[in-house]
Amino acid sequence: MDERDTPLTSGFVSDSLRFVETYEVVLEALGDPTRRRILHRLRAGPAPVNELAAAVPVSRPAVSQHLRVLHRSGLVRYEEVGTRNVYRLDPSGIEPLRGWLDDFWQTALDSYAEHVRRDAERAGQRQEEDPR
Amino acid sequence: MTKSRTTLAPLRKVVTVPATPQRAFELFTAEMGAWWPLRTHSVGKDAAAGVAMESRVGGRIVETLADGSTSIWGTLTAWEPPHRVAFTWHPGHEERHATDVEVLFSPAGDQTRVELVHTGWERHPGTEGARREYDTGWDFVLGKYAEGVAG
Repeated sequence: MDERDTPLTSGFVSDSLRFVETYEVVLEALGDPTRRRILHRLRAGPAPVNELAAAVPVSRPAVSQHLRVLHRSGLVRYEEVGTRNVYRLDPSGIEPLRGWLDDFWQTALDSYAEHVRRDAERAGQRQEEDPR
Repeated sequence: MTKSRTTLAPLRKVVTVPATPQRAFELFTAEMGAWWPLRTHSVGKDAAAGVAMESRVGGRIVETLADGSTSIWGTLTAWEPPHRVAFTWHPGHEERHATDVEVLFSPAGDQTRVELVHTGWERHPGTEGARREYDTGWDFVLGKYAEGVAG
């Protein structure tokens, strides 16, 4: 379970995430209405934890847990400002996902193109064996 | 709003293959199980036994696992041989998390240009099909989220 604490960086995505997991990590982060409310609040600008806690109807420990999930997903990052952690949306959070999707379809289409080429070769061979 | 690079705009991939559109379409759909990279691109991974596309609107893309169980990856929303096939896409997840994939086949000399477009992240309530996407993760992260980053 240790990997679940690793932020969603490009390297982590390409090394560790596959078909379902990329959906998983984002959907896990966003599948919860409280987390969506936190993100919604962060769209207005960076905010410290206490401000985020005030924006959602859950306990402070629960907010911390939600922020942990969001941080793990790569969608938010934080800076320590004095004794407070100030959270903000991370614009690079989407990049690993986009790169992953790009690789995903590239691999699939390469495999498809290879299949078509083999099919064309077989058709060519059949024509040679059985010329009209 | 400025569209930043972080917006997951439609993802487009193009490949040109040595076949007529008819044959290219047929190989893509009817023979999906023969070319799909199942070991890496499946729910079951090593336990994945096959994948098939049911060739009609409303047909499903179904992965079969070694134990005989199945996993639905999506449902066909367009079936227009040899030009176009489109399907919802939610491998490993419920349909409400579906995105959309469209594959277009067009002649390119004596070959066929195959363009795959993956969308469905930026729907808004009120548009067709929006109900199932409304307020889901994908909609938020890949559409609205990016607005927040840009702004």
